[in-house]
Amino acid sequence: METLRRGLVAGLLAGLVLAMLDFVTDGTPGRLLPEALHWFGITIADPTISRFAGFFLLLVLGGVFGLIFGALQRERIITIRRALLSGLALGFVWWLVFSLLLANIMSHQAPFSLDFGRFLSTFPIDLLFGVVLGAISFQLQQQRRASAV
Amino acid sequence: MSLSSSASDRKRVAVTGAKERSTTSTPITLSERSITGFALIRIFVGYLWFQQLFWKLPPDFRGLYPYIIRESQHTIIPGYGYILQHTFLAGCTSLSTPAGCTAFVPLAACIWTAELLVTISLMFGLFTRFGAILATILALQLYVGLAYTEWIWTYGMLVLLALALVAIPAGRRLGVDQWLAPRLQAAGQQHRIARIASWFV
Repeated sequence: METLRRGLVAGLLAGLVLAMLDFVTDGTPGRLLPEALHWFGITIADPTISRFAGFFLLLVLGGVFGLIFGALQRERIITIRRALLSGLALGFVWWLVFSLLLANIMSHQAPFSLDFGRFLSTFPIDLLFGVVLGAISFQLQQQRRASAV
Repeated sequence: MSLSSSASDRKRVAVTGAKERSTTSTPITLSERSITGFALIRIFVGYLWFQQLFWKLPPDFRGLYPYIIRESQHTIIPGYGYILQHTFLAGCTSLSTPAGCTAFVPLAACIWTAELLVTISLMFGLFTRFGAILATILALQLYVGLAYTEWIWTYGMLVLLALALVAIPAGRRLGVDQWLAPRLQAAGQQHRIARIASWFV
């Protein structure tokens, strides 16, 4: 239960970092947030509401991936190496499911079609989500151990 | 009597300690919150570099060309324009397209790769100080070439931001350096390469 709780918090925070990145993007801040809605075929006409909805969807998805991360740790004390590798693996799964498969399917393209520009714009960011998720989870574990001592 | 003597000894030690502290600097330790905050700043600075990869994508790096032309015309260092004209712009016949330029694509590829390295290094906290040094050099080059043509603070602040990340080991939280740093420091006791590599995390 403890690792699940830690994973959830880490996932929500990593999702927040991922969503916040879109506020330092070129062009209007938050303009790419509605892409998260597009993965699930959701379209909202109002651009402001669409951005807020995309922002919260990223947080929710971050929380879900955090829970998966926590479940994979099976109540064990994890090392930083394991935390970062598990995070990277989950970041890769995020990229595969959302940025590649769902994005392509919803755009009526072949599921695995990909060009260099799109790969470059999505792959590092999704891996970054995973690294931040793993690192935050490790930090929370260390904090808890320190407070227990 | 002995009590009074030991009390005066303690007083003397305390005064000496205070004098020593006033002549030496107290070591500063960053708190967890501060270093985690710096790690977040590092990620966002890396993301700033990341975004700038897309308007000059390979294979032709066309977006970079007008900026090299501007740098060659408006640099603040005498001779820098001459160097650009005989390297990047050697053989170029047009001010708008890199047609005829013999060295533009390979040199632009070097710039783009360096920016990609900065991005990976800063976003993932992987050899962060190396990435920050590279970012400082790239930002300095932009400052020298373009600061005069745009808001001068832009490139100056980019240099200072990169220098701050050289000074502080921001990759040791929320980054791969957290795993790398202790290993490189331990290996550095025996291996010179590991010791040198440990300077960059």
